[in-house]
Amino acid sequence: MKRWWLPMLGYALPHWKCLAYIAGLMFLSVGLEALVPWPLKVLVDSVLQGDPLPEKLRWLEELPAAGSPLGLVAWLAGATVLVYLLNQTSYTIRTYLEAGVGVRMAMDLGADLFDRLQRLSLRYHGRQMTGDLLRRVTHDTGCVKQLVLGVLLPLLHALASLVTLFLIMWNMDPPLAIMAMMVAPPLGLLIKLFARPMAERTYDQQQMEGQMMALAEQTLSALPAVQAFGREDYEESRFRQMSFRTLQAYLRAVASQLQFKVGVGGVLAVGTAVIMGIGGIHVVRESLSVGGLLVFLSYLASLYGPMTTLAYLTSGFAAAAGGARRVLEVMGQEEEIKDMPGCSPLPATGGKGREVRFERVTAGYEKDRPVLKEVSFETFPGQTVAVVGATGAGKSTLVSLIPRLLDPWEGRVTIDGVDIRQVSLESLRSQVAMVLQDPFLLPLSVAENISYGRPGASPQQVMEAAAAAGAHEFIQRLPQGYETVIGEGGASLSGGERQRISIARALLKDAPILIMDEPTSSLDAGTEATLVEALETLMAGRTTFIIAHRLSTVRRADRIVVLDEGRVVEMGTHEELLAKNGLYHRFYDLQFGKAASGHGTG
Amino acid sequence: MARNLRAYRPLGGYILRQWPSLVLILVLTGVSSVASALQPWPLKLLVDYALGNEAVPEVVRWTLEVLSVGITPVVLIVVAACSSLGLFVLQSGLDVILSWSWTSAGQRMVFDLAADLFHRLQRLSFVFHIRQGIGESLSRLSGDTYCVYSLAHGLLVSPAHQILVMGSMGVVAWRLEPTLTAVTLITVPALAASAMFFGERLQRTSRFAREAETRLMGFVHQTLSAIPIVQAFGTRLLNRRTFQRLAADATVATQRGSLFKDVYGTVNGLALTMGTALVLFLGGKRVMAEAMSVGDLLVFLAYLRSWHDATQELLRTYGELRSVNASMNRVLEMLETPEEVREIPGAKPLTPRRPHSGRHLSMEGVSFGYEPGRPVLKGLSMEVMPGEMVAIVGPSGAGKSTLASLIPRFFDPWEGRVSMDGRDLRELKLSSVRSQVALVLQDPFLLPLTVAENIAYGRPDATMRQIEEAAKMAGAHEFILRLPRGYETVLSERGANLSGGEKKRLAIARAILRDAPVLVLDEPTSAVDARTEAEIMEALERLMQGRTTVVIAHRLSTIRRAHRIVVLQEGTVVESGTHQELLQRGGLYARLHTRQLLLIPQEGVA
Repeated sequence: MKRWWLPMLGYALPHWKCLAYIAGLMFLSVGLEALVPWPLKVLVDSVLQGDPLPEKLRWLEELPAAGSPLGLVAWLAGATVLVYLLNQTSYTIRTYLEAGVGVRMAMDLGADLFDRLQRLSLRYHGRQMTGDLLRRVTHDTGCVKQLVLGVLLPLLHALASLVTLFLIMWNMDPPLAIMAMMVAPPLGLLIKLFARPMAERTYDQQQMEGQMMALAEQTLSALPAVQAFGREDYEESRFRQMSFRTLQAYLRAVASQLQFKVGVGGVLAVGTAVIMGIGGIHVVRESLSVGGLLVFLSYLASLYGPMTTLAYLTSGFAAAAGGARRVLEVMGQEEEIKDMPGCSPLPATGGKGREVRFERVTAGYEKDRPVLKEVSFETFPGQTVAVVGATGAGKSTLVSLIPRLLDPWEGRVTIDGVDIRQVSLESLRSQVAMVLQDPFLLPLSVAENISYGRPGASPQQVMEAAAAAGAHEFIQRLPQGYETVIGEGGASLSGGERQRISIARALLKDAPILIMDEPTSSLDAGTEATLVEALETLMAGRTTFIIAHRLSTVRRADRIVVLDEGRVVEMGTHEELLAKNGLYHRFYDLQFGKAASGHGTG
Repeated sequence: MARNLRAYRPLGGYILRQWPSLVLILVLTGVSSVASALQPWPLKLLVDYALGNEAVPEVVRWTLEVLSVGITPVVLIVVAACSSLGLFVLQSGLDVILSWSWTSAGQRMVFDLAADLFHRLQRLSFVFHIRQGIGESLSRLSGDTYCVYSLAHGLLVSPAHQILVMGSMGVVAWRLEPTLTAVTLITVPALAASAMFFGERLQRTSRFAREAETRLMGFVHQTLSAIPIVQAFGTRLLNRRTFQRLAADATVATQRGSLFKDVYGTVNGLALTMGTALVLFLGGKRVMAEAMSVGDLLVFLAYLRSWHDATQELLRTYGELRSVNASMNRVLEMLETPEEVREIPGAKPLTPRRPHSGRHLSMEGVSFGYEPGRPVLKGLSMEVMPGEMVAIVGPSGAGKSTLASLIPRFFDPWEGRVSMDGRDLRELKLSSVRSQVALVLQDPFLLPLTVAENIAYGRPDATMRQIEEAAKMAGAHEFILRLPRGYETVLSERGANLSGGEKKRLAIARAILRDAPVLVLDEPTSAVDARTEAEIMEALERLMQGRTTVVIAHRLSTIRRAHRIVVLQEGTVVESGTHQELLQRGGLYARLHTRQLLLIPQEGVA
């Protein structure tokens, strides 16, 4: 985690102009601050006590009506207001700019992190907790703001005042000035000692907060199970336990910060006491006047101000480091699936589907646990391939290789003879439309959900796709028809309705390769029959992969691939496979043998 | 304020619960201000007594005599240096205890509130969460609960202190210069107007900012939960643009909030500064008229300054509290959302029965829907005898899953009643109703726990043997053993590392282990191949012996096993009877049946 701040500074760079303004305003306010006591001083010295105006302020008398003391008083009263206004305006502009640039930097980082998360493979997401990732994107990205506005700019400010004050003291008494700086080495040591534990503990605390969020997210996502099995209290006690542990982590982080602060304060207090003692002895020996010592001590106090700030910035830096580490963990995650350098787009073809070929493909999610083992088969443009097999045979894994949601460990998948790893991901995925087991509808309007894969589609096209998927009718019955937002009222969409929307979404994408993972599993027979017809017109001229358990769907396929424990065990048409009397035949008997005989007796 | 103070009383409870820490904090804050008043004392000791010739104060003399040390300048210098160190130790000790108590008390308040919010969120229906979005709840849970800390901090320390300072300074100033003090008070109406004007706006802008942040969070959450679709449909760039748009909204809202806060501060400061300028002018005039000395004016101005600072601070605190208000409302809103399903006082538990004797279920004239005016079930009546297996059939969208969700009382019907053994579910203890029902839903809803914990989710005290037996019955044992760590394998979120059929079988094992007299199965075998289906159905059939079962199914093979079939259409029961009866009647069921069979036209040939 060394140099974590380097990539973070990259997010400050585009805003350098704004940051420069902020720095400028910061220094301007130091000057304006110094103006504050002046009107009163002039009032007391020159007007009330009758001293002549200082040389530099003579011009005041030239102002209209300033000749009389009362006029001057009025001007000075006005000046108080003016100085205040200037000061406050510069402050307001600065905080306004800071608020904007701070959030903008954090959001830029958030956008990149979000982007990265979307590129990371399903394998990665399978191992992560959504709630934790969510917190990284929305909360931990604030580290860049903390780094730039909370550490970097104050650092500049503190350094500038430190140098100025040191120069002033040097002018007064070089040896004492050097002595005043003697606190620097122990401070440096403290920073070195504490920087790491502070950063570590902040990181731990943020990890715990991420986990708390993850627990809440997981529980709320599985709420029907939680409620049905009466485990609310259990989840709550887990939540309380976790918040207790988060509190502990919090206090550990605070403890190291406090130790550090006490250390810094101690060093400075000892420094002051030593100088007080030495100075006092100098005064006793009459080598220094009392006034001289007082002045020196007051400068010492103002020198230690910025020094304290400098030291305390360490803890701000450590806090930023904790968040940055959580962000960079994701950013540094290697994309398993990405464009190869110099890849070319997959050439488009007109309408006839594509030839897809699996060549000795082995793939899986966890090491040493391949789901597919040396799978080879091919499909011709426009063909429909049904993938059949027992639960867990690897059917869903097989089709997820085609849009490269997953890459094979060994072997390759080709489209029209080109290895899909050699074409750009975007062009590959634009050629594939999918209907998954879980419909994954988003909380957008129905129309937006349907046009998810083709955002520019016209309402007419959306409606046609919905009609083809047998969804038009029920969509029209929704409160706002196609504009009904799913989620807010989407609860009343049944499983079958959700699935039909996801089919419409795939239809509208109008891609030459269509993948359907159990498109009709939660549909009733009637709906399925109408849908299968719709799907058939759609499948014409496309290469289609369909996973289905219902043999009524399967048997229409041009080719059936039977998977068993990750291997292709049979392949052929429905008739061929039945004739072969193998696994497929057994499936067939199981499903229809009984149904058919039952029907016969019924 | 949008709510009167009484509405915030629930939040006060979280603050008061930490009273020991709060008392400590109050006391130490007092001690700390005394200690900081002592700060210049060592310097005085050094200058006046060690280096000057004034008489050493009694305390120091006495202390030194006790220690039998003579009073020389060098000793006094050492005393000064030591007492400055001593003061530092005192002050930093106080600081440490104060920060520590604030952090621990503050975080405890926040986590207490969050846990209660979580408690409430879990008791709201899943429909509520679908509607509201989990991202929204998470945002309130993790972001807005901090309001209670800000509230405590804002209310406890500053106002009392500031009002005290304001009052005492006001009295002193009045004694000194009644006229000038009166002039100063001219600013009060202006300040009140500013607080009124900006308070409302501060609250609104901070609410907008929180809402914008929450929208962003919701968007990120929904995208991350649908990664497979996001990748397959290649919407990454589109999502990036949406993110940036939402982020820009959040930025603008935050920036506006910051601007309002500063302008509020500026206006207050301006009013106060103009007051000071007026005093300066009038006071100057009086000094010149020699009605007042320069020293008096300076002293008055110094008091005015303290009054000024305290007022400004108080106004700032007020502004802060108004901003926190947005978060408080967001938390309270959720804490006060009525649970759709609530136990009436004096609810009775259901009389216990052996699981194998089943329960009598009935629905009488039940109407229910998720949105007002759009009922899903319309005056539905049906009855299930103890030990009977009833299949619910109907076109998709007919209300089958909704019907099933009324049995464990996920919702209460709008009209009519659902009863178990003749007793309205609403009169019974919720936990006793739900403990009678084992549920297999369309979506398996697995949790990121181990496989064994998932199966034992409805019966945490089950032994490993019982868990394995349930898994075997559900046909899950084999694939579980093939997992890297068997029953101890921790599932990914939503069971992402399992296939659809495997998830389903775990959900069935979970229901089997629950061993409840009522079984509700919502398409228990969809997404399962024919062979597994047969195995599962066999296992379920053994389980159903003597239990009351309601099963929703599309597959004929499952439906045919039921004692009775209830056909649902558009939220009402249109037919009911055995397979044979319904076929003979030639109604909807017969049509559905023929259509399914039509899908396998060559059945006879094969």
